[in-house]
Amino acid sequence: MGLSKTLGDFHLRNVTLTIDDSEYFIILGPSGAGKSLLLETIAGIYSPDSGKIILDGTDITDRPARLRHIGMVYQDYMLFPYLNIEKNIGFGLRQLRHPSHDIRKATEGIASLLGITHLLSRRPDTLSGGEQQRVAIARALVIKPRILLLDEPLSALDAITHKKMRNELARIPMLTGVSVIHITHHAEDLISLGHRTAVMDNGAIVQIGSPDEIFQNPKTPFVAAFTGMENLFSGIAMDSHEGKVIRIGQVKIHVITPYTGPVQCGIRPDALIFSREPLKSSARNVLMATVTKIRRMGSIAWVVIDCGIFLTGVLTIQSLYELRIDEGDTIFIAFKASAVMVFPEETQKK
Amino acid sequence: MKGKFKVYSGSWFQGFLILLSGSLILLFCLVFTSLVLWPDTHALIRALTSEEILFSIQLSLITSLISTIFCAVIALPVAYALSRYHFPTSGFMGMVISLPLSLPPLVAGIALLIFFGPSFFGNILRFIGIDIVYTTTAIVIAQFFVNVPYLIRVMRSAFDSVPPRYEHVARTLGASESAVFLQVSLPMSHQALLAGLTITWSKAMGEFGAVLMLAGATKMKTETLPIALYLNISTGDLDLAIASATILMAISVGTLLVFEHWFGVKRKV
Repeated sequence: MGLSKTLGDFHLRNVTLTIDDSEYFIILGPSGAGKSLLLETIAGIYSPDSGKIILDGTDITDRPARLRHIGMVYQDYMLFPYLNIEKNIGFGLRQLRHPSHDIRKATEGIASLLGITHLLSRRPDTLSGGEQQRVAIARALVIKPRILLLDEPLSALDAITHKKMRNELARIPMLTGVSVIHITHHAEDLISLGHRTAVMDNGAIVQIGSPDEIFQNPKTPFVAAFTGMENLFSGIAMDSHEGKVIRIGQVKIHVITPYTGPVQCGIRPDALIFSREPLKSSARNVLMATVTKIRRMGSIAWVVIDCGIFLTGVLTIQSLYELRIDEGDTIFIAFKASAVMVFPEETQKK
Repeated sequence: MKGKFKVYSGSWFQGFLILLSGSLILLFCLVFTSLVLWPDTHALIRALTSEEILFSIQLSLITSLISTIFCAVIALPVAYALSRYHFPTSGFMGMVISLPLSLPPLVAGIALLIFFGPSFFGNILRFIGIDIVYTTTAIVIAQFFVNVPYLIRVMRSAFDSVPPRYEHVARTLGASESAVFLQVSLPMSHQALLAGLTITWSKAMGEFGAVLMLAGATKMKTETLPIALYLNISTGDLDLAIASATILMAISVGTLLVFEHWFGVKRKV
């Protein structure tokens, strides 16, 4: 199946995407990037100003939503409050005028697949967020859609349900053969879910790739920042006798890059190596620094250091104790030249 | 000291406001109970079971039910159109539809009288054998004309408050436009619909001005409850007038209770 789409709208600027069969595709972007609008356009709620939507080789751009067989699950589920769970799930099949015993069978089938059989006679307002989520997914899946669209499906859930649901969502393409398009503003949703990911900003797709590519090799400072790169700086890249260096204020760091002149560069927190002694390692950048702040979160700690520029690194609580690092200490940090991501200045959008 | 002063002055202020509210409510109660208690009970019961009042009750019930049904049939789709679709004249249309709401019913009535009477349209109707003016049909038309804008308003705001995403989901599940209206928008606003219909019906029962103009006040013919009240007070038959007023009051109280029951907390309309 190929779904490609280009549409010139206020919010969506030339978006082109192709989703494969049984693929779990994630669209990542900040609020207001036009993600929901994109989903609703794919579903047929809004028609694009220009561009095409192709499903299985057929142009469905002008096909009304009810004939598209594209399921939609909103963040706040939108279960019909006046119908019980069984009637909610059967809603789509009733529209297609299936015989009632078929509807019953299909409803029970999908309910047992999603583990919500015991909820069938309940009312939506008596269900927890996770349960409502499953019902909304069941309601969309029971009509056997070609694509399932999920609008921020994990954002409204508590941490434990969130984790559980994430694993269940990942199984949907395998269990049903449906392709899933999942939009989110949480970069961590990529980790256990997506086969491929598109990063959206300001109505446009900035980068498409596997979650690993997105994390390890962000194409723009925006993608880098959005996928959790804490340390982003503007500097001047120049050639020196030791290879390329970037000057950020008073600090000089070694990098590997084809660019010269004004650039943006980023260093992942996990690329920083901490030590109490100046360490001899293959890392080209070794800097003396003062620890300014330590933020403990569960089993990890974020360590902010000042080495002329402020950098954030991450350590496990264990290594924090082993290194005996405390606020105000003078330590050494090291990172490889290849760990510094460099972007030419002009790609940065405001 | 400051705190004490505040409480002191606050209690005076509060006391005054509560006293004022209490006096007003006492006045209301006195006025209404004096109406019911004025005739002696036997006379009131005799009046309530008199042929004329029974006729009025029957006529009012029938006309108000018919006009309420017409109001629902027209107001629901119109309110939905005004709430959901934005076309070039939709704002203007919304305004025109609300016009009879702010108009005194007497004015609406006389406009209807001219329209169905000596106007070109009225002449055409009479030419094909339909004469509306001073008939029971006129009662229904007058009630409908005055009440339909109200019901449209109520339903429009009810439809406005249904999140459109419910309808979007229904569409992706294969619902046609009419199915979305009947199976999603309407059930989502059923509370407003019940409350709106109750008030529409009660307003139809009590409609006077427009009915008086278009249907006239003919004893035992176009004599609805308010018209009965008007006719009998004109001829000095106080018992019958009060009997009619008592029924109208009971309907109002009943409607209020129903309305509070369904709509009490929200109070949107």
